[in-house]
Amino acid sequence: MVRISTKTKAGLLAGLICVLSPQAMALNIFACEPEWAALAGELAPEAEIYSATTAYQDPHMVQARPSLIAKLRRADMFVCSGAELEIGWLPALQMKANNRDVRDNQPGAFYAALQVERLDVMQSVTRLMGDVHGMGNPHVHLDPRRMLVIAEALAKRMSEIDPALAEHYQQNLKAFAARWRQSTSDWEAMTKPLQGKQVVAYHTSYRYLFDWLSIEQVADLEPKPGLPPTSSHLAGLLNQIKGQPILGVVYSNYQDPKAAEWLSEKTGFPVIPLAYTVGADGTEDLFALYQRIIEQLLHAVESA
Amino acid sequence: MKKHAISVAVACAIFGAAAPVYAQTGQSGFNPNISAVINVGYTDRSDFEGIGNLPIDEEHAGGPDEGFWVDHTELALSAAFDDMFYGKVTTVLAEHDDETEVELEEAFVQTMGMPYGLSVRGGRFLSNIGYLNSKHMHTDSFVDRPLVYRAFVGSHYYDDGVRLNWVAPTDTYIELGVEGFKGGQFPAAADSSIGATNLYAKFGGDIGDSQSWQAGLAWLSTEHVFGECGTHDHGHDDEHDHEDHDEHEEDHHDEEHHDEDHHEFEFGACDFDGDKDFYIADFVWKWAPGGNYKYQSLTLQGEYFYVDEDGWYGHEHEGEYEQELRHDDSNSGWYVSGVYRWSPNWSAGVRYSEIDPADVYSEGYKPKATDLMLDWNYSHFATVRVQYTRDESMEDLEDDIFSIQFVGTLGAHGAHLY
Repeated sequence: MVRISTKTKAGLLAGLICVLSPQAMALNIFACEPEWAALAGELAPEAEIYSATTAYQDPHMVQARPSLIAKLRRADMFVCSGAELEIGWLPALQMKANNRDVRDNQPGAFYAALQVERLDVMQSVTRLMGDVHGMGNPHVHLDPRRMLVIAEALAKRMSEIDPALAEHYQQNLKAFAARWRQSTSDWEAMTKPLQGKQVVAYHTSYRYLFDWLSIEQVADLEPKPGLPPTSSHLAGLLNQIKGQPILGVVYSNYQDPKAAEWLSEKTGFPVIPLAYTVGADGTEDLFALYQRIIEQLLHAVESA
Repeated sequence: MKKHAISVAVACAIFGAAAPVYAQTGQSGFNPNISAVINVGYTDRSDFEGIGNLPIDEEHAGGPDEGFWVDHTELALSAAFDDMFYGKVTTVLAEHDDETEVELEEAFVQTMGMPYGLSVRGGRFLSNIGYLNSKHMHTDSFVDRPLVYRAFVGSHYYDDGVRLNWVAPTDTYIELGVEGFKGGQFPAAADSSIGATNLYAKFGGDIGDSQSWQAGLAWLSTEHVFGECGTHDHGHDDEHDHEDHDEHEEDHHDEEHHDEDHHEFEFGACDFDGDKDFYIADFVWKWAPGGNYKYQSLTLQGEYFYVDEDGWYGHEHEGEYEQELRHDDSNSGWYVSGVYRWSPNWSAGVRYSEIDPADVYSEGYKPKATDLMLDWNYSHFATVRVQYTRDESMEDLEDDIFSIQFVGTLGAHGAHLY
């Protein structure tokens, strides 16, 4: 048998992909949230990728609806946050979809948050704390350093599931990582003015973003994680932050703006409606999402 | 800039080294998952007298008891045994005639590793007839099951048996299944090894981002044999104390024998010998703005039952049952409900259910019930509900039922079925 170099193999494969219909070889990927659909798309652009949620839906509160069962039934793998973000709906889908490839502990079950170190991991959790995630904050996609680790793990996993295209996934990872590293340092340069700024935010959805940018979330509109803002809690916040150098009140596209607007009105601090994931404000990929978020935050600094 | 670059490198090194293999799940917690549901309440009502004289399972058909109750408080354990098998056990508290019994509602094993979209479940489980039947009652939006469920299947039909189902590899959700049961629970009363069968199909999909739907069809076929009745129905006017089931059964036979002098037929569920076929259609439609269920949503659902009864009514005479009245007729019934959630804390709903029994039971009277409910959710895990029911389940009854209920879940966060 003639030995063919890996590069040639990859070339042949790439050629094959062009000749055959892309669907015939492509992975079928079920993403729980748009950020994972976008990341999967960077690594496997030919794959058939479906996102179970949009940027305008609270990922904690999703219906395990029939269409999602049907999608998961046909998936080769899922890419979800894990760390209990989807605990209210993903297990129901796994149970109903009758797809052995996407059971927990199978290669087709990819939990992004479990690939990285998570913040706020709890040793013990009681419901008195609200709807907290004992495994730590699952909203990991807004830290570019963690995203890179996740991308590497995901490319590796794709290669295991679909070894024929392993080289292809690795090449896509390489290209993505190079662009991502460059963008990350650009963003870090751009966001210097944000360092040390204080914000009030709705939920801990931006925990990793703030950690990365050295922004401090001094208060939460939620009295406890998962509980909607109450007037008594907001009144308390008002006293707490009055006169403080607050950059603004942050909330995301899937959250009700009323509480943030009320607090803004009372304090004069601006509301900062921040994109949360891909698809928000027309962002088409992860690069655009980060760009958009940074622009929104910088805009708040400039108007202050 | 430099500092950041270093931190990226360090972070990558640390995280990269720590990156585990895929032997993990998205959930924390113990093995097995333990969850307890506290379901307690208080109801003001007059005594339950039956539903249009239909042959019912009285203890599961009456709705909430008068006064304080803890009905359907449940304890469940579940976990995967291994890559292939998943198991679950659910016990519930049930109150009957002021006695509290523990009922084993589920004890099943289900495959997780079969190919081609197939799965098998075996043991005791809730049948996949209709929309509500396979769900635990504490997840319902109302205090009790709709009148049609209470009358025809004793609020829910569960039994010992096996299910094979298949999910089609299509964009539209299609699930086909077949179930075979012992027929040992109401509405079945069989003496053969497979005394009840169910063939069902479920379909569903989305309409844009904001709407989703599911529809189902089921054909449940049950056998009924004199003397095999496992339910507590004994006609509608016998009051009796009993110490346990077995004695109860005996009491019951004596009493029926005795009663016969002044009642020709009471149409008790246990007095029937023959077949009953249940044809059930269900539909549910849900809406939330942009598909975001956090703040606002609307759920409309409805189910229709057509029950074909073919057999004999009879009584026991000196240990022998006798066929006395030929019965070949049908009942039907339905309900519709709507529940609107307008904030994370509040939702309200309305429901109407009506039954059209065969003439032999109610001589044309159609039992009906109308419900209004209001839910307050302090958190995702606790609900306080008030419900008003206009109960017209018997011809001479017009009862106003008021209930207040608390439902809370402890332990493992159960996933919510659609």
